[in-house]
Amino acid sequence: MVTKTEESQVNRLENQVDNGGGGAWEYLCLVRKLKVRRSDKVLKHGLSILNDPKKRSTLGPDEWTLYEQVAVAAMDCHTLDVAKDCIKVLQKKFPESKRVGRLEAMLLEAKGSWAEAEKAYSSLLEENPLDQVIHKRMVAMARAQGNISGAIEWLNKYLEIFMADHDAWRELAEIYASLQMYKQAAFCYEELILSQPTVSLYHLSYADVLYTLGGLENIQTAKKYYSSTVELTGGKNIRALFGICLCSAAIAQLAKGRSKEEKESPELHSLAALALEKDYKQRAPGKLPLLITTLKSLKIS
Amino acid sequence: MAADLVLDTAIRDWVLIPLSVVMVLIGVLRYFVSKLMRSYQPPDPKIVKEGQLILRARNLRAAANFIPARSFRARRLYFSNEENGLLFVPKGQAQNAQAQMFSDPNMAMDMMKKNLSMIIPQTLTFAWVNFFFSGFVAAKIPFPLTQRFRSMLQNGIDLSTVDVSYVSSRSWYFLNLFGLRGLFSLILGEENAMDDTQRMMQMSGFGFDPSKSLGAEKDSLDIVQHDWSLPKFERRAEAVLKKLIS
Repeated sequence: MVTKTEESQVNRLENQVDNGGGGAWEYLCLVRKLKVRRSDKVLKHGLSILNDPKKRSTLGPDEWTLYEQVAVAAMDCHTLDVAKDCIKVLQKKFPESKRVGRLEAMLLEAKGSWAEAEKAYSSLLEENPLDQVIHKRMVAMARAQGNISGAIEWLNKYLEIFMADHDAWRELAEIYASLQMYKQAAFCYEELILSQPTVSLYHLSYADVLYTLGGLENIQTAKKYYSSTVELTGGKNIRALFGICLCSAAIAQLAKGRSKEEKESPELHSLAALALEKDYKQRAPGKLPLLITTLKSLKIS
Repeated sequence: MAADLVLDTAIRDWVLIPLSVVMVLIGVLRYFVSKLMRSYQPPDPKIVKEGQLILRARNLRAAANFIPARSFRARRLYFSNEENGLLFVPKGQAQNAQAQMFSDPNMAMDMMKKNLSMIIPQTLTFAWVNFFFSGFVAAKIPFPLTQRFRSMLQNGIDLSTVDVSYVSSRSWYFLNLFGLRGLFSLILGEENAMDDTQRMMQMSGFGFDPSKSLGAEKDSLDIVQHDWSLPKFERRAEAVLKKLIS
């Protein structure tokens, strides 16, 4: 996770470098350390160092790290010629390296020659079955080819070992949700909530999935997660507010015939509606009538 | 109090400085030798998996109240059932670290290499110092010390009349041996410097047993009382919204 101070530091350095204030190498180091994705900048400033023999030689052995970083950034920006040059230099320096092998496989992938890239990745994976990056490349490649079931298979294989990697869980959750496999997606979102219980986005997505699944119990649960989102965001999340209204409407309809359960928070939906109205009044007064009719059609009481 | 000893400048030139320089050089040499002998060991998938498993189980324990009771129970069953739960380690199957060490010659070999690179140069330099430099008073520290420091600073001279602030050559060797870490981190870079005291600590930390921590994690997961905290959130959300509207 990138903290706020780190992010502002990156931005400040980026600004400084962009305006010709120097410090390009520090910027690149920071980007590498925080693993943020600023490929265009990395490509630009990294190349300016690499193309200047004097600057390059002051780096010492870090020069090769920079070549790697620029190569990856170049592939991300689809300037494959640059990437190819960088990899060639590295290949010359470290002929047997697996790390360079990985870059070569990535270049194949960037070119779109899937079969060859997959072959290269598989052979690398055979030598080192615990390489997380290659596992993730495999998933990404399967997704890029539209082979969703393949991506799921790879992700499951990856999560079998690296089961604490929440980014992978998130990817899997999104894939399942896109395939309308909501039960599986709900499981993944639960896993995400467990690993980072204060991230409101996971609560929101989990609630969305539960609401989509339907059924009285699920919708009641969904409403609870929408409320936790409201609590975590301080009521700023419009989607969560709408969610509460929709859930309340659905619950009222589903529970109509049955004995009325004691409601825990009878005011919640009306409060959510009021909050929505207030927000619309402030930010989009033109759409207020639309909102009011929508809410009216949902009106539960 | 006895009159101050006057130390010959030749002692400085031929004992104090050579000893220090040799110690530094040996430290550097040892670093490169151990770097050459170090063998890369691919991590064991089982151990990686267990580490991740513990992490995930810990997450489950810490945030249990944020997921519905049914989901929690399903997960707990998955982790700790007695048939094939991930955290369940059958009795007897858990081999202790000692046995594992003997069954894997690679590990023993690695430890021996580490040991050799530490012990051999140490014995050699100690013998060398003893042979050439024994009995010198090599330096004087600029502040007085109590008698208890005599064994630390005047190793090798058995004279009770010499003031404690004088340092014998053998003690100078020991001071260098343990005190050059800062210098090494300057010469070899931050992470590379490792003095002997640290190395010894690493050795004693060896023999960590993952199956034990799996069992402990299972036990603490078993006693978790699940109390779904989400119903409370509805009321809290109400309070937040009330504040927002007003």
